[in-house]
Amino acid sequence: MDDQHDADCGCEEYNELSRRQFLTASAGISAAALFPAWLPKIVMSKNYSSTRDIIVSIFQRGGADGLSLCVPFADPNYYTSRSTIAIPRPDSSATTKGINLDGFFMFPQAMTGGAAGTGGLMPAFAAKDLLIVHATGQLNNSRSHFDAQRYMEVGKPVDPSLVTGWLGRHLASIPPLNPSAPLRALGVASGLQKTLVGAPKTLPIADPTNYTIGGSATTQPQRVAFLQGDYAAADEPLHSAALDATNTVSLLKSVNFTGYVPANGAVYPNSSFGRALRSVAVLIKANVGIEAAQVDIGGWDTHSAEDPIAGSMFRTMQDFSNSIAAFYADVIATGSAVTLVSVSEFGRNVRENGSQGTDHGRGTVMFAMGKGIAGGRVLTKNWPGLAHEVLADGQDLQVTVDYRDILAEIVQNRLGNPNLGVVFPTWNPTMLGVTR
Amino acid sequence: MRITTRAKTQHPTLDTPAEQVNDAEGGTERPSRRSFFFFGALAAATLVPKAARAQAPSRKRRIVEKDPIDVAPEVAPTESVAAFAEWDSPLSRLVRRATLGITKAEVARANQLGWQGYLNYQLNYTRINDDAVEGVVAQKYPLLAQTSDLLFSASATDIRNQLTEGTIYRAAFSQRQLYHRMVEFWSDHFNQDLDKVGYLLVADQRDVIRKNALGRFPDLLKASAHSASMMAYLDQSASRNKAPNQNYAREIMELHTLGVDGGYTQNDVAELSRVLTGWTIQGRGTFVFNPAIHDWGSKVVLGVTIPAGSPSLGQDGIKEGEQMLDVLVNHPSTARFIATKMLRWLLTPDPTETQISTIASVYRATGGDIKAMIRAILNDTWLPAAPMKLKRPFHFLASALRSTVPTVTSLSPMNSQLTSLGHPIFSWDTPDGFPDKIEYWAGNIVPRWAFGTTMSNLNSATTLLVDTTTYRAGSPDAAVDLIDQNFFGGEMPLVTRTGLLSYIKAGTFTDARVRETIALAISANAFQWY
Repeated sequence: MDDQHDADCGCEEYNELSRRQFLTASAGISAAALFPAWLPKIVMSKNYSSTRDIIVSIFQRGGADGLSLCVPFADPNYYTSRSTIAIPRPDSSATTKGINLDGFFMFPQAMTGGAAGTGGLMPAFAAKDLLIVHATGQLNNSRSHFDAQRYMEVGKPVDPSLVTGWLGRHLASIPPLNPSAPLRALGVASGLQKTLVGAPKTLPIADPTNYTIGGSATTQPQRVAFLQGDYAAADEPLHSAALDATNTVSLLKSVNFTGYVPANGAVYPNSSFGRALRSVAVLIKANVGIEAAQVDIGGWDTHSAEDPIAGSMFRTMQDFSNSIAAFYADVIATGSAVTLVSVSEFGRNVRENGSQGTDHGRGTVMFAMGKGIAGGRVLTKNWPGLAHEVLADGQDLQVTVDYRDILAEIVQNRLGNPNLGVVFPTWNPTMLGVTR
Repeated sequence: MRITTRAKTQHPTLDTPAEQVNDAEGGTERPSRRSFFFFGALAAATLVPKAARAQAPSRKRRIVEKDPIDVAPEVAPTESVAAFAEWDSPLSRLVRRATLGITKAEVARANQLGWQGYLNYQLNYTRINDDAVEGVVAQKYPLLAQTSDLLFSASATDIRNQLTEGTIYRAAFSQRQLYHRMVEFWSDHFNQDLDKVGYLLVADQRDVIRKNALGRFPDLLKASAHSASMMAYLDQSASRNKAPNQNYAREIMELHTLGVDGGYTQNDVAELSRVLTGWTIQGRGTFVFNPAIHDWGSKVVLGVTIPAGSPSLGQDGIKEGEQMLDVLVNHPSTARFIATKMLRWLLTPDPTETQISTIASVYRATGGDIKAMIRAILNDTWLPAAPMKLKRPFHFLASALRSTVPTVTSLSPMNSQLTSLGHPIFSWDTPDGFPDKIEYWAGNIVPRWAFGTTMSNLNSATTLLVDTTTYRAGSPDAAVDLIDQNFFGGEMPLVTRTGLLSYIKAGTFTDARVRETIALAISANAFQWY
């Protein structure tokens, strides 16, 4: 690893690491398994840290309404802008009132496991392991789900030549935690999420508990041998996928998903998000070399009948918070070196629309969780407020914290990768004290 | 009720009258202005192949062993993949692109009709007798013919199963293969999530998508804009004059017509959402314009000024929106956007600028005639030079059905297989539709292999039955030859032939061994591409 991405080559998004060099760095592992040929060549970080967290990256797809997820109840404009979907103040007498966080922001009951305010994400918040960042998002003002998601996952807006994701480049620019691991990262999805594109030895696995080619156990080795031979000369990206897949089938066969008992009596909701986090927890505890997982949760595109008190937004937030709460109790509270972070492509209009919903907006919230996260607070940078005259385009919460500032600090301080110029090309992050 | 049908796809009648085949729309008997422009576009197309060939990639992936200090340009994962060396018949390449799976019968048909003849045969789909398949669909999936009024009371599970299985059945066994390729394409273009719209989707699929899949794009777009299902899916039915909902106004420009870079602004979205207030649903699924919730103020959308109206205009208020639909379908960005997307679907993941402008000009010259665009895209110079595309799981599954030709009593196992494969049709929840990108699908390979195992072992009189008699009738070599004919159109790559022969001979020549070999054929690299 002679190359180093340094300040001198900041003009370039990538340096190149030759495949041969990469091989030398990790002797004994086939080149294709390590580094698919079609991927851009990325320089390895020289000064990486050998101890680092596993990252669980969550994408809240659809544009999550940050003003419902973490409500600025002390801003009177919240109540005037949302005549039918506002959540009552913590000091009100309403049974549906929110749970006070810091005198300005509150959680809705969906995020705290009910009216008592002691469940859901509250234990993590109280233990200072959960950080909420508000008025965050992207500086680019696209309100297209698909552009905004792509920009956020890629880690740079409006660059058609950049096809890899920020987490993919992180993994590509740091040696594996466990060099013999057949699988470094997974996307719990049927198709690999953009965030992870570019990561070596990484696959989409919709259901890790059932990852098999089926058929007779006796002939399975022969059939796998046929597949390895048949795909040996396959074109990329199918070639690498097939090779990684055959290795991962064997790996996951050795992991006991069904008999898994979560720690601390944690109960994962039987939702697709809850099951995904449970599978990720099993893989982390199995210690098979997984370094990253990308998990998605949909249901945030609340154009109509949003109802964060009892309706669709309530149920989505409840699934989100109860699933992460189980993961917290099971994995993070027990001391595993894991950081969890959650993003959404944009927030929603401050003012509700005519269908008791909210249309695409700008600023929203992010969540970061872990023993290495400086949590227990709502982080804002010059909270812009909700008064009409300060709204972006006259309708939206401003973005005052670029999401990359949060992610970059985590990549550097928790994931041990100082190579931020590769992970977030052309972005010069401001460290806001997200990590301890 | 049980209907056991041996699919007839594999046994076509090849006596298609020549005059039917030659009776192409835009053909010589109608030298209209449209066809004049159309032929002009084709002439332009013939100038392109050199450029296309110059950009055709080499067969193998690029492995650059460069000095480490060189900075290589980023290689996109959509890097074009040239075809297998064995795929040397241009007509077979046309069959792969025009169908949901190459079969011996389709290759024979293409060889008989020639390039233009076969293309015309597939494009003039209403002339292809599909009574056998439609008869089965009518009997097995009766809900698909019902009105929304009746479907309102039907079980949601029945609707989902019949819609999904009916779509699979047609895709796999209809003789109108190119038509169903385009039904799939437009179903993603105008994607809706069954979980959100429910029974309304049946009418949308029937009266919008299947009715116009090979018609004119403006008709298709306008049918979609008058679809109760679309109004529900993109919250248009919840939009009101006082606080318009922008969802549909945004997506009709971003996803359905102009494209995200098509030259509209957030202000255009807001203004179009005001224009469209009042477009909604009445009763159990009737599209209506409701003047009482229309915003009658003046608007400016895409530079077009719509003067203020008044409630006294009543139903005439819908004309504002109709006018904007005309603006959208006639916009040059729409021509380019639809041309690019169709090129990606039918030809190559990376169409050249020349290809895009050529097909966009066909759109403009023919008023968005989808057949004319396809005829210009699938020409015999571009397609033989085009890279392979990865089958999406739905396509993969349909092609496995076309190759195994099972006896179908119920397709319900296929319904759940689509979910395992990551392609549960009608359940993509965002309006962009399932991706058509290799980097999205390539990693999900294990479920394809598991599907191969499941498919080859189907031996049920109540669902699907794959009969292996013919494979076991001769030698193991003959079985692999038959697999070549049925699964690879006689162009099975050497590595796969060698591997299958080795596998089938490594054990006793039993039914189980034959089924495993068929599973491996379905799982093979070459079966994933088209």
